[in-house]
Amino acid sequence: MRDVPSQGQAFVADARPGVPAIDIQGVGKTFATDPVGTAPVLGSIDLSIRDNEFVVLLGRSGCGKTTLLNIVAGLEAPTSGQVLVAGRPVTGPGGGKGMVFQQNALFPWLTARANVMFAAENRGLGRGEATLLASDLLRLVGLEGVDAKYPAELSGGMQQRVAIARALALDPAILLMDEPFGALDEITRNEMQDELLRVWQARQKTVLFVTHSIWEALMLADRVVVLASRPGRIVLEQEISALRPRSRSSLPLVALHEAIWEALRER
Amino acid sequence: MTGAVDRHAGTIGVVAFVLIWELAARLVWRDPGVLPAPTQALAEAWTVLTWDVLLGHVGISLFRILAGFSIAAVLGMALGLACGWFRGLSLALRPLVELLRPIPPLAWIPIAIVWFGLGEPSKIFVIALGAFFPIFTNAYRGITMVSPVLFRAARTMDVDGLRLLWRVAVPAAMPDMATGLRVGFGLSFGILVAAELIAAERGMGHLIMEARQLGHLGVSIFGILLIGVVSMLADHQLGAAIRRTVGRWARV
Amino acid sequence: MGRRLHHWLPLLVPTLVFVVLLGSWEWAVAQGWLRRLLFPPPTKLFASAVELARDGVPLGKTLLDHLLITIARIFGGFAAAVALAIPLGLVIGASPFLDRMMAPIVGFCRSVATLSLLPLALVWFGIGEASKIFLIGYGCFWVMLSNVIAAMRLVDPVLLRAARTMDTKPLRTFTHVVLPAALPRIAAGARIALGVGFMVIVGAEMIGTTMGLGALIMEARTFYRTDVTMVGMVTIGLLGLAISLSLSQLERRLMPWMPAHSGAGP
Ligand SMILES: Nc1ncnc2c1ncn2[C@@H]1O[C@H](COP(=O)(O)OP(=O)(O)O)[C@@H](O)[C@H]1O
Ligand SMILES: [Mg+2]
Repeated sequence: MRDVPSQGQAFVADARPGVPAIDIQGVGKTFATDPVGTAPVLGSIDLSIRDNEFVVLLGRSGCGKTTLLNIVAGLEAPTSGQVLVAGRPVTGPGGGKGMVFQQNALFPWLTARANVMFAAENRGLGRGEATLLASDLLRLVGLEGVDAKYPAELSGGMQQRVAIARALALDPAILLMDEPFGALDEITRNEMQDELLRVWQARQKTVLFVTHSIWEALMLADRVVVLASRPGRIVLEQEISALRPRSRSSLPLVALHEAIWEALRER
Repeated sequence: MTGAVDRHAGTIGVVAFVLIWELAARLVWRDPGVLPAPTQALAEAWTVLTWDVLLGHVGISLFRILAGFSIAAVLGMALGLACGWFRGLSLALRPLVELLRPIPPLAWIPIAIVWFGLGEPSKIFVIALGAFFPIFTNAYRGITMVSPVLFRAARTMDVDGLRLLWRVAVPAAMPDMATGLRVGFGLSFGILVAAELIAAERGMGHLIMEARQLGHLGVSIFGILLIGVVSMLADHQLGAAIRRTVGRWARV
Repeated sequence: MGRRLHHWLPLLVPTLVFVVLLGSWEWAVAQGWLRRLLFPPPTKLFASAVELARDGVPLGKTLLDHLLITIARIFGGFAAAVALAIPLGLVIGASPFLDRMMAPIVGFCRSVATLSLLPLALVWFGIGEASKIFLIGYGCFWVMLSNVIAAMRLVDPVLLRAARTMDTKPLRTFTHVVLPAALPRIAAGARIALGVGFMVIVGAEMIGTTMGLGALIMEARTFYRTDVTMVGMVTIGLLGLAISLSLSQLERRLMPWMPAHSGAGP
């Protein structure tokens, strides 16, 4: 194992016992362009996420999942309430919060390795170190021999693997993922879920993962949080204790699927 | 307040531009023979030109453009579509077009004069030639890029042969053709002026050139702005027409 | 056999068409169906090209002299326009307010027919080189400027968001994200601008000079040398083609991540 800089150098101060990794406190959001009188995109969301917890936000399109994730990322400001990360209010993006986007957000002019290096260099690593780290991370996400390829030369699944490697290169304590596998076919998607769990177990992170697929939530989450829209609100929180790897045919999960489906259908 | 400034940013820009020009001309250059202020140019045009004369110049210029552009539009679209549909024709014709394309349209002026004389046909020829290439290329590209799925769908509905061309391929190529028409139209204005600068007794290009020889630089500037305005308005009309038709189902 | 023919057809047919066309042109002139003065036949054009390249007609300047002058003028105006338009466009494009403020002016100045400025150029810069470079520069500048502004405005916002989530410093975001993301459109703008330069040069050289391909093309007419005009046209067409091809090469080098460009001429 090469000397890969790890948790100790993360931007976010090491976890303090009792302080949640992410604490969403009464977050509401209304867009300036919303017509007066419409319900806010986000009502008042309260959600507390433990260190190294894998939380999945689930809801139908347009219910405000991306908006909430962007607020946690610091890409957007809430209209009311606040988000604390490791006990400190979020004022902007970065600072140990890695993000993987739904669309391909790789820099098309950089090779796979250079994309990952971009993130590594941003936190002060030299070229040599960044190159080594990038190669290691690409291998970690299951990519071999594509270091010198441009994003356009990679399949959708490979692109998202690079995006995950790039987010990991920041060595963030928190990983925010906005429907990262939404554009993939189901087979690739299932593979990517397994890979993600493997990576998550190898590099302990707090993950906030957005999806609109109930099965994806069930396969991945320590806890599923179901959102309903206008106003965006939490209608169900469900801990999932089943051991991983999980099977879709396990009866408890099938029962949970039914329960979540009911929660989503209400309204 | 900030909102109002933001909304009228374009107006502010234009007013600032005119003001700076006016002040620079009156306070810095102070020589209307070199740089007339906008107000001076307008005043000079007002005294030198009459409405009849002005409308005559604009009218003949527009006639030349419309004539040349129409020829180019008909020929360009017809040949472009035909080349895209019939592979054999494309093999024979496209290399010729690609050979002629790099020759700037203005370089045809002397030839046009030799072939067609100094009258209207030579100017219309040069304008048509310049507008032809973008129209042709876009029509060709449009029809060759039509998604094969559309053709397959049409075939399952028993649409075939020329009907397939007319009912599926041509409409599907329309957004690209619209782009070609717009580019070609813009080009024809640029070419017109050149053609009129060199050999014409009337027209906006001639007006500009003649005014300078008579020492009315203000009238020249007026003419330059006039061509800009007319070309902008005409382009606007064409754009609106395209948005009203093709634009209702495609992004153009 | 069938496959081999299929492979050669795209080369064979155009060559055949070309040969047949030139042949019938030659033949029609020989038969007296086309007038020699109006349609100098291919053999005559070839002879004139050789004459022009060696001795220079009608004024003793060879084809190369004209060619070099024209190239110098185009590049002078083009380079000046690009050097001005890129920084200005980057600044305007970086600010939505500036963009909206400048949009009508840029749009209008683009609409102004460049060659209509010829009288102004003559008054301001005389009939020398400066006025030609001014005209070419003007035409290239506004096209370039509007393309640089558009390139900035059309940078994919998700890339900027990604950069922000990676703690990228503002200067690094500009040099490593905004610039490369805008580069393809900037390059496309340069290509269009060069096309405009080619269009303007011929007009600019038609007045007040006897040097340059445009002047050669125009002057030849007063000597009833349609053949020389045609040789000049072919030369400037080849020049345009050569520049367009080398531009494609350059773009490939600068932007290896882009899919191959089809080299359409200016
Ligand atoms: N920048 C914005 N301006 C105005 N409305 C927005 C904006 N972003 C999202 N919305 C609206 O907020 C709602 C939630 O959007 P989003 O968070 O993207 O939903 P999701 O990610 O769950 O599909 C939608 O109705 C959308 O139209
Ligand atoms: Mg979303």
